[in-house]
Amino acid sequence: MSLLSAETPNLVQLLDSAGLELLWHPSLSNLAPVHRLRLFERLAAGEEPLDILVIEGSILHGADDSGSFDAYMGRPKRDWVRELAERAGYVVAAGTCAAYGGFGHQAPTRAGGLQWDRTEPGGLLGAAFRSAAGLPVINLAGCPCHHDVITGTLLALTSGLPLPLDEFNRPAHWYGVMVHQGCTRNEYHEYRVEESDFGQKGCLFFHMGCHGPLVGGPCNKLLWNQRSSKTRVGVPCFGCTHPGFPASHPFFATRNIEGIPLELPMGVDRAHYLAYKGMAAAAAPARLKDRITEI
Amino acid sequence: MSKTRRYEIPLNRVEGDLEVRVDVDEGVVTDAWSSGTMFRGFENLLLGRQALDSLVVTPRICGVCSTTHLLAAAKALDMVSGVQPPPNAVRLRNIALMAETLQSDLRHSVLFFLPDLAASAYRRHPLFDEAVRRFEPAKGETWVEAIIETKKILEIVAIIAGQWPHSSFIVPGGVAYSPHPTELLQCRYILRRVREWYEKRILGCSIDRWREVRSAAHLDAWLEERADHRESALGFFLDFGRRIGLDETGRGHDSFLSFGSLELPEGTDVAGPGESTRLIPAGYFDGATTHAFDQSLISEDVSFSLAADYETGLHPVEGVTAPVTGDSGTRYSWVKAPRYDGRPAETGPLAEALVGGDPLLRDLVARNGASTLVRQLARLTRPATMMPAIEAWIAEIPASSNGDTYVPYGTLEEGSGHGVIQAARGALGHWVTVRDGVITHYQVITPSAWNGSPRDGAGVRGPWEEALVGTVIADPDDPVEAGHVIRSFDPCLVCAVHAIDRRRENT
Repeated sequence: MSLLSAETPNLVQLLDSAGLELLWHPSLSNLAPVHRLRLFERLAAGEEPLDILVIEGSILHGADDSGSFDAYMGRPKRDWVRELAERAGYVVAAGTCAAYGGFGHQAPTRAGGLQWDRTEPGGLLGAAFRSAAGLPVINLAGCPCHHDVITGTLLALTSGLPLPLDEFNRPAHWYGVMVHQGCTRNEYHEYRVEESDFGQKGCLFFHMGCHGPLVGGPCNKLLWNQRSSKTRVGVPCFGCTHPGFPASHPFFATRNIEGIPLELPMGVDRAHYLAYKGMAAAAAPARLKDRITEI
Repeated sequence: MSKTRRYEIPLNRVEGDLEVRVDVDEGVVTDAWSSGTMFRGFENLLLGRQALDSLVVTPRICGVCSTTHLLAAAKALDMVSGVQPPPNAVRLRNIALMAETLQSDLRHSVLFFLPDLAASAYRRHPLFDEAVRRFEPAKGETWVEAIIETKKILEIVAIIAGQWPHSSFIVPGGVAYSPHPTELLQCRYILRRVREWYEKRILGCSIDRWREVRSAAHLDAWLEERADHRESALGFFLDFGRRIGLDETGRGHDSFLSFGSLELPEGTDVAGPGESTRLIPAGYFDGATTHAFDQSLISEDVSFSLAADYETGLHPVEGVTAPVTGDSGTRYSWVKAPRYDGRPAETGPLAEALVGGDPLLRDLVARNGASTLVRQLARLTRPATMMPAIEAWIAEIPASSNGDTYVPYGTLEEGSGHGVIQAARGALGHWVTVRDGVITHYQVITPSAWNGSPRDGAGVRGPWEEALVGTVIADPDDPVEAGHVIRSFDPCLVCAVHAIDRRRENT
């Protein structure tokens, strides 16, 4: 559903002008069931080409490794996915659940990803899997995945443009930027002017559990629905683009040691961080301490 | 030898995983079984987590109505803490919920329901070419416009909530953000634009004119009145629908449930039906009489659900369930069977309109019973009720004497609460228990669990199972008629099949 909010191209333009033929989508196609089954069988047998396979949702291995918790036309969904992936030019995991498992990785559902189980390579298809075009599964992380990342990826693939991937097989262009970059609260972060309750103007990193400086993602670069982002409206980032999402610790609290966050902005060492933030707080101007600067 | 044949019908264009089995005797459905085919166990993910974490986990139950789940979760926590959100927070919650509902009603109608009229089963129907021109996926004129306009309406949610779907901006005590008056002005113009499209393309008349249609006779007169009315999506649907007998299928149990929703904030000029304190009243309508709603009368039966070790017929506060993983016997769905005062009940736009006493829909149902046509009519015209209320609440926010949009909620250490509201698809309830700040019990009952429930211990079918009986199916390989019936309930099985709960000892 996130995809329907895509802009430039929107979904209609994408299907109309990018040379894409949508063979089937569970929510959008009006193919009769019997024709759908035949389509799946032709694709799985290689009788009809499948250039791009996009999978949403995690692979459920439960109950007891039977896959029965998620059946599709009488078979575990994972069996369909495995067969179709063998034939596909590219395989795209849309969303953190399809990419890494996301919610429900513990028993009994045992959700896993297409080529990862949370932060471990493997998943349903195995770490060595390469699609016909020679790429691993392209992981479009996020819960949900940003609409323009899905369309941007499909456009790049159909245009034959290179799409460099990062360490978690996410397109580096969108996941190599921190969620925090572009947040309108950056001034408050920089000078460590912090909040511990909702509805305020300050930074949400120090007490409210915000993952903005910890994970990569395009939320404040592309914005959502052409408008805004969670952090801009005072909702912490929950790190949903990271393979380890959802974290097991509380979403709305920052774990800390004597007031210093346990997890520091990506790549920063603790000693320098302590010195830097101590000085930054001391240097904070009144316009920030008094919450005058707008967000 | 029996002539009865049994068919499996996997439906697409529902939000999730649903398979329906029907018995067909000489082209007529004689029995039906509805199976949710995916078990997710979302509530289990909350056990042992902090109370506030439900605001992050539960919106992700559904990609279409995530704001709805967020609101139900937040209202349950309002109750746990005892906090009263200020009036402008109520307005912002309502605006976001209604914008999401408009999106869902319009997408369901134009992207999910109406494309069936452009499917190959109707290729010889006189209106087929026109249906294709309007509703063919990715190409039809109205289909393409609906993509653009429903995307636009969600910008209202993004302005208030930061993003759609899956924000967590509703918190106990109010909302996380207070939009600037200029942002509210933008909301107003977004709504104005979508309203103009809705009036022109969907209704074929102004909302004010549509709201004068208060009886079956008015509806016929309205169709007669102007070509614009007949040629709108609504007029075309009524014509096509009557020609293929949608007013004769899908009746169901005549049992309609609304939890009520959209409470009227203090000082508002917006009024609900009668003396209701909500725009959408709560109640139970049995086809003749409306009864007051009492959430303690809800129970869940699991006699035919793939749920083990469970004493059947429990209120969601007491529910104890684990999925069946071995021999399932006669159990056929991951969905439990919610019952109201022991009865199955359908819910959704039709049910809430009947409970609220909507004169047109009451008259149509009194004459001809509930039907596929009336159910979809209620959904297609619900935006006419909601758009004026959104406009009014947007305008009231900057004028309100109380500018607060959040008040500190105190603590969430101990207690129980529930959030029962009307989602786009109908009655949604969240029930939570918190001990030492940690969730020890969580239960969700979704609208599709009501509508798509399996049989109960007395053998009584769920609403859309019942509604399918008697449906004439021309081609079992392409059972589009069954699709119309089920789709008129706007099934969302992503939601429905997660309704499993396990009480875990707090270790």
